[in-house]
Amino acid sequence: MNRFLRRGVLGATAAGVAGFPFLLSAAATGYDFAVGIVSGIAYAVSVRPARKTYVDQMMTAASLGIPLWAIANLFVIPILSGGHMAQSGDELRQHFPVLVEWILFGSIFGLELQALSDFVHYRFGPETSPAVAPPHSVRQILILGGGFGGMKAAECLEDQLAGDPSVSISLVSETNALLFTPMLAEVAGSSLEASHISAPLRSALRQTNFIRGCVTGIDLEARKVFLDGAEPASNETGRELEYDHLVLALGSVSNYLGMANVEKFAFNFKSLLDAIRIRNHVIEMFEKADREQDPEMRRRLLTLVVAGGGFAGVELAGALNDFAHGIFADYRNLAVEELSVILVHSRNRILPELSESLAEYALVRMKQRGVKFRLEARLVDVQPGLVILSDGQITAETLIWTAGTAPSPLLKTLAFEKNSRGAVVVDSSLSVPGYPGVWALGDCAAVKDGETGEPCPPTAQFALREAQMIATNILAALSGMPGKPFHFDSLGSLCVIGHQTACAELTVPFARTRSLRFSGLLAWLMWRGIYLSKLPGLERKIRVLMAWTLELFFPRDIIQTIELGGKGDHGVHATGNADSSTSIHLQ
Amino acid sequence: MQPVMPIVRQASIFSRPIGDGVVGVAVGAGGGLIQAGILHASLANSCLLGASFGLLFGLFFARRASSAGAGLIWGLSAALLLWIVLPTLETPLHADGRELSNMLDETRKRFPELVAYLVCLGMPIGIALGVRGGLHQRDLETPFRWGRAIVAGGFAGVASGLIFGYWMLKGDFFPLIAGWRDVPSQPEKVFLQFAIALTIGATFGLLFQRDVRGYGSCMGWGLGYAVLWWFLGPLTFFPLIAGTNLNWSVDGASQVFGALVGYILYGLILGVAYATLDRIWVRLFIQSDPLNREAEGPGFRVFRSLQWGALAGLVGGLISSPLMLATGVLPHVVGLGIHLSTQTGLLAHLLVSTFLGMSYGVLFRDEASTLATSGAWGWVFGLIWWYAGPLTLLPLVLTGEIDWRASAVFSLLPSLFGHLIYGAVTGFMFYVLERRYMSRHTLDPRMAAREARRVRPEGTPAPALWFFAMGLGVAIPILLG
Repeated sequence: MNRFLRRGVLGATAAGVAGFPFLLSAAATGYDFAVGIVSGIAYAVSVRPARKTYVDQMMTAASLGIPLWAIANLFVIPILSGGHMAQSGDELRQHFPVLVEWILFGSIFGLELQALSDFVHYRFGPETSPAVAPPHSVRQILILGGGFGGMKAAECLEDQLAGDPSVSISLVSETNALLFTPMLAEVAGSSLEASHISAPLRSALRQTNFIRGCVTGIDLEARKVFLDGAEPASNETGRELEYDHLVLALGSVSNYLGMANVEKFAFNFKSLLDAIRIRNHVIEMFEKADREQDPEMRRRLLTLVVAGGGFAGVELAGALNDFAHGIFADYRNLAVEELSVILVHSRNRILPELSESLAEYALVRMKQRGVKFRLEARLVDVQPGLVILSDGQITAETLIWTAGTAPSPLLKTLAFEKNSRGAVVVDSSLSVPGYPGVWALGDCAAVKDGETGEPCPPTAQFALREAQMIATNILAALSGMPGKPFHFDSLGSLCVIGHQTACAELTVPFARTRSLRFSGLLAWLMWRGIYLSKLPGLERKIRVLMAWTLELFFPRDIIQTIELGGKGDHGVHATGNADSSTSIHLQ
Repeated sequence: MQPVMPIVRQASIFSRPIGDGVVGVAVGAGGGLIQAGILHASLANSCLLGASFGLLFGLFFARRASSAGAGLIWGLSAALLLWIVLPTLETPLHADGRELSNMLDETRKRFPELVAYLVCLGMPIGIALGVRGGLHQRDLETPFRWGRAIVAGGFAGVASGLIFGYWMLKGDFFPLIAGWRDVPSQPEKVFLQFAIALTIGATFGLLFQRDVRGYGSCMGWGLGYAVLWWFLGPLTFFPLIAGTNLNWSVDGASQVFGALVGYILYGLILGVAYATLDRIWVRLFIQSDPLNREAEGPGFRVFRSLQWGALAGLVGGLISSPLMLATGVLPHVVGLGIHLSTQTGLLAHLLVSTFLGMSYGVLFRDEASTLATSGAWGWVFGLIWWYAGPLTLLPLVLTGEIDWRASAVFSLLPSLFGHLIYGAVTGFMFYVLERRYMSRHTLDPRMAAREARRVRPEGTPAPALWFFAMGLGVAIPILLG
């Protein structure tokens, strides 16, 4: 017998027997009896049975008799019988005899329930626990990528599966943490500690089997994924992972547009380590400039070039400009006039993601704060100490590349249909056509809106919603149901351009073609408020909030935390993508 | 308070039930003698009643009396049950309406017996068998930390005495020594107030260290222990010290009713202070040790408890609002003004309910292990807030004065049941939300292990506490008002 049914029957029996004498009472009514039966069933169902706990049950049930009296005799029964609720102490006192009866009822009921429970246990054995039979085959959902899309998909699957042991979720990522990229520029600008903007995937995903490793190949026919350097796990054999459903959330990498020297000499700006390198490199340039006697060389050292005028480039240029200006106080031999933060952009306006007026505002405000712009200028080549543009050149030791991205190179090895960027084309339900059980989202997918047919931008905002939809559609597929089409209207965009200055363009709810524009301090507060709320993890939120508060009172840190291996001797910095040249010092 | 609750196991000693019965009979007969002397009742009847109660307690309840504190709570609740059951044996339930209408008066007349049963029977028998049970089970449980109990309890007692004393000093009303006649000077009153506070605090730690496990249970135990001290202090010891006759009648108790509310508030503050001190100890020296680190840090649990508590409190506020509206107490619950419109009052009521729900989440999150126990703890929470809210804080905010006279408290009785229902719904909802979350995470063996440690095992005195605290917390205002 079902355990709750069994408990309910015992409760009803015990309540009926315990309540019967009270039917003879002048104070109690049939309503009391009915309430007693219902309460008895509810009580019996809600307690975990234990053997020979007579006094415990007696006292518990007797104590619950007191509020039951209040609910039944002061409120429910008067209303049911057409009267009114007890509204004064005197009216309440009239019901006092029934209170005594409820307490007696409770104590007798508790004893009877325990006796019945013990008898049934003795006669028919213990309750049958809900059968947790091991499923014949555990279905594997494998997520590749630990960015916004991958982590969100795992979170949604955890939520929706609610501990279902017949489905296993695994997530493979090259790093063991989610990088909160909107705050990456603040790490490069020494405003935040690196670890504050990362959320450990293991802690965040309690039901997901997390595997740190690099995917080297996917066999779509055999439904296997091959890893390089994966950690051994109990349910996997070697470096192969099998899947029933595969989620490609591989993200993107920098696209240098075929310029080998840029790839060789420029800093990347995609990962946490990139941000740490940039920060340390800027400090290194200041240290060198401080001891440099040649004014031209000092200018060269203190010239920071950022290529790309999108969100990443603008935010980074603004953050570096603030950071560099702020640390001048510690370098007595340097003058502010020697510093140049230059943003190079191939179009005639920065921030193409925002409306023209906000882009213009950003340009003016950043110029006022000291950032220089080279618009309609393409980066052509880079030589040590020299950045060559389509309309001239800049002598600089620092170049940071933010001007282009491309989907993960792993996709090139797969026979999927791809768009011009190299992203996997998916259908409206985000599954890859012709490959059942394979899904893609985020930067590595070419997603079209299921309602409008418009291509969705490769942003975190869309990736998060795509992840939710993929989780829903995977569960639908597991149940043999059709998937739902993806549709999402952008909520807007925010961009910090300098100290307490930002631009925000928010879509008007229910009028998606219209937007509200904000700039300056208000937009900056919105940026901080919104992104702080979206930063995963309470602990991280508190740490970031504290760091932002401390920043109001104390200068930014100029301690170098990594050694750059002396590569700065080669002109424009050679450590850009040379991981081996950088070592991290534990401080 | 234990970070890991030991499972109370019973020593399998054949002679123990017999020994318990003998001890129960002896102590009960002695208590009956004292009771007969105080109530001027028949010596034989009182002794027989005491011995019978002691025997029954020794045979059926003593297994639960695993320490002096546990025995005390079980003894008190059993004595209260005895007081309720006895007249039913004399006046059958099928009595006619006239007899029922006199039932309240009869019960009021029997108030001295209630005090006698608690002070002369329940307390001594419970403590005696609890001490005996503790000696038998000493080697089976985690070691009792005397220093921690006395220091934490004593500090808590003094701290709560300070809060309470400073507050009371303004009105020259010292509830802990109410009924202590002929204390001429204020310094003496202050000294006595603190001496009693310290005594209650230190004995609280000694008695209940093993039973309390979080803020919520500390408050519950504080409430129950304070009610006992009201019976012991203003009704019993203080008149004896002053050399006056004991007056355990309804009228005598009504005169010191204000002190009961004071004692209850003191007990709540004591519980919170004790739990805070104990939690600080556990947090700083035990949980902070990386060797003891759990899958989730305490900060996450607090934050989640606040979220669930807010939602549960909102639901509790919604469900209790019709009762609050019907009884006309909603504007008072809010406590923001005299004339609030229904909409404004409702909105403010929901806001306050949400806030109180958050406090439930933080204070009671480690207490309930089943739906039924969540309701019981929720009801205790509702009772606590009735004494702390409409009886104390709201009048203090509105008028700067508090009126703890029986008549004033009696007029607020209808709101008590709104509070009880609010507390129960909040407790239920919080439990449901917590279960929903844990059901997804207990696949992780570490989370499952933590959850198993969190569950209050069978055999603790929590059911007895609920009955004692709820029964007297509700019945005394009705009887004395």
